[in-house]
Amino acid sequence: MSAPAAHFETPQNRREAAELGIWVFLATELMFFGPLFLAYAAARLSYPEGFAEASRHTDVVIGTANTAVLLTSSLFMALASRSAQLGRRRAASLLLFITALLGTAFLVLKAMEYFDEWQQHLVPWLDFRFEPGLAHPASLFYLLYFAMTGLHAIHLTIGIVLVLVFAWRLRSHSPASMRLQIENGGLYWHFVDAMWVFLYPLLYLVERA
Amino acid sequence: MSAEPSRAFHPESYLHGGDTFVSWLTTRDHKRIALLYMISITGFFFLGGAAATIIRLELLTPNADLVDADTYNELFTAHGIIMVWFFLIPSIPATLGNFLIPLMIGAREVAFPRLNLASWYLYTLGGLFVLGTLIAGGVDTGWTFYAPLSTLFSHSHVELAVAGVFIVGFSSILTGLNFIVTVHRLRAPGMTWFRLPLFVWANYATSIILVLATPVLAMTLLLIVFERVTGIGVFDPALGGDPLLFQHLFWFYSHPAVYIMVLPAMGVASEIIPCFARKPIFGYRTMAYAILGIGMIGFLVWGHHMFVSGQSMYASVVFSLLSFLVAIPSAIKVFNWTATLYKGSILFASPMLYALGFVGLFTIGGLTGLFLAATALDVHLTDTYFVIAHFHYIMVGGTVMAYLGGLHFWWPKIVGRVYPETWARIAAITIFVGFNLTFFPQYLLGVLGMPRRYHVYAPEYQLLNEFSSTGAGILAVGYLLPLIYLIWAMLRGAQAPDNPWQATGLEWQTPSPPPQENFEETPRVSGEPYAYETPERNA
Amino acid sequence: MKVTSIQTLLATWGGLLLLLALTTASAYVHLGLGNLLLNLGIAAIKVALIAAIFMHLVRSSVTVRLAASAALFFLFILAFLFFGDWLTRPSNPAPWRAPPSDAR
Repeated sequence: MSAPAAHFETPQNRREAAELGIWVFLATELMFFGPLFLAYAAARLSYPEGFAEASRHTDVVIGTANTAVLLTSSLFMALASRSAQLGRRRAASLLLFITALLGTAFLVLKAMEYFDEWQQHLVPWLDFRFEPGLAHPASLFYLLYFAMTGLHAIHLTIGIVLVLVFAWRLRSHSPASMRLQIENGGLYWHFVDAMWVFLYPLLYLVERA
Repeated sequence: MSAEPSRAFHPESYLHGGDTFVSWLTTRDHKRIALLYMISITGFFFLGGAAATIIRLELLTPNADLVDADTYNELFTAHGIIMVWFFLIPSIPATLGNFLIPLMIGAREVAFPRLNLASWYLYTLGGLFVLGTLIAGGVDTGWTFYAPLSTLFSHSHVELAVAGVFIVGFSSILTGLNFIVTVHRLRAPGMTWFRLPLFVWANYATSIILVLATPVLAMTLLLIVFERVTGIGVFDPALGGDPLLFQHLFWFYSHPAVYIMVLPAMGVASEIIPCFARKPIFGYRTMAYAILGIGMIGFLVWGHHMFVSGQSMYASVVFSLLSFLVAIPSAIKVFNWTATLYKGSILFASPMLYALGFVGLFTIGGLTGLFLAATALDVHLTDTYFVIAHFHYIMVGGTVMAYLGGLHFWWPKIVGRVYPETWARIAAITIFVGFNLTFFPQYLLGVLGMPRRYHVYAPEYQLLNEFSSTGAGILAVGYLLPLIYLIWAMLRGAQAPDNPWQATGLEWQTPSPPPQENFEETPRVSGEPYAYETPERNA
Repeated sequence: MKVTSIQTLLATWGGLLLLLALTTASAYVHLGLGNLLLNLGIAAIKVALIAAIFMHLVRSSVTVRLAASAALFFLFILAFLFFGDWLTRPSNPAPWRAPPSDAR
């Protein structure tokens, strides 16, 4: 994608097409997450106590820390986009690297969390144990928890790979030629971040008081 | 990107230069990808048709004398999955749409050629999964995969089939994404929104549905697999889930999917009818708005598939009302096609025969849809052959007729050769007769109460079933004819002129078959679409 | 092509962390339904900030903004019509498949 494709009249035209394309893609991503949110809402309305209790079993410290990590990674992603726009190769490369590092930190924390949950028998299909009477709704909660956070983690992994590729390619390509990719990759990164912003209160903060 | 296609015009058509197998499989030319799609969906069409043939043979008699219950279940499921996802949904958009949209808007390519090729590969991969399902022994849940049947009770190969549908969904998404961006960003100078051919409008609206509805299906199918694998689920009531949630999510995709199938068909009819009536389309703007209206309202009506599911009656009333609303833009379209014909100088060429067949059959299918949108009547008709007849009138009578009409209309442009017109007319009439003989008796069977999805039936239904099965035989012949003579035309037909029908539209202003970069130079558009002049006739 | 200033980006980030602190803290105050509404409201503001500034929707074209909001609109329709059914539906479980005892 280095040379402007011949079917675009101008670079401006190409930029606008790419921007619209990535937004349409993000719209499909949102629709893809949608049924999970709907299933969550229906199940939570059916079993308020079960969901509250199950949510209290999540690790709110890691969850909150991870939210902060992800929000910060978005800042660095935005700064990286900015540097690419301004043609600052070294800054852009460094900022992208930090972004990827923060994303990786999120995944590491998340993996620790998964491990703890497995040890506490909170994985619904692996010897699930929970307070009697609430086990059923709690298993539903944890099914959705693993589905949503797992899907999010997959997206984030893709994002990290993308960002690292961009940082790598900046060594040999000019920031001007990489600008479009970094901007659009950034949009994807921010989208993954925004999904987490909704997952965090829904999964970790159901009824903490 | 290695070799930049040069902007200079070279007279070689897209079919020449790079004739190797590999060059076709790595092409980024939207026209070649359209042909790849055409070959694939034709294969699946005849595979799905084979399943239908066995079904109709079994139903010749009231008893089970050809297949047993399980095989029958697998047959109609295979027929549904293949026809819906591997033929109807990609049919017009991925073939004619892929070929024509850039040509019609004066562009050299679709916006993202590589995604376009990826879309075909995803389609092929999904198709392999479905073929794998068939070889492994099939799936018996019906194409709807209703939970908890699909999650708890079915012991067939649900995972494989679901994987196939999941993957093919992403191919639809990529096609839709490509079209949306192409129409927004790559129109030639002067090609304003209200100068777009209605075929482009229709595919644009279709693309919006594709990108917004398909992901919901994808996630729903994923949840089905979760539920099967883990034994914990959001759908099975025994597991604390809600089975109607599945139906809501499924039909949120699958009802708009009907419009994915029929909107492009309407687009095809809107191109053919003005050309062979030699008149501008009647009410161009209302046609465009009606397309958007159908696309939009199509998202609001899915609950009419669930009137007897245990859904709240209040929701049913709302869904019923909203369903009736679809009739308004649909009727606008039918009236406008009719008004276009009025005092036109009509030529009954083969594409026109298909287009007229489309209008008539779509109208019957649409009007019988109103029966099913009425809650009280639906209780009687639901899950009977009336429903089968209704949606086959829309999907086969509507979409397949229009697809064939479009294939004939643009075949000279696509392959640069002419097909035998007499054979084409014979085929069009055979298909029309065969279709009605197959499916009209099914309306009557439905009213009489014959339920769908059974391999045996009460003896009093036999006569109408015999009519239907006979019609299916005629229909099969009708479908084989175009396969033969269109391929013959591609290999042996006479050279086609650039504009054999004296049609308007940019795709006719470039050679047949078009050169690789579509146009010698980017066209500039100054006039309205469908600028046909009616030959003077003294009243 | 305008570039977002570092100050704006930093301020947005600060605002996001502040909102995160607010939502976490509020979860430990018993507000009943208020907790849920506050959580969702704050999440919506955070996402709006991310979309407007980080994803620079504020200076995007109308087409792009429409694309960005289309999915929200259609998800709303999905949720609205689904809950229209769900909330008014009578619950008639088959006796042999009664749902778990702690259902609504």
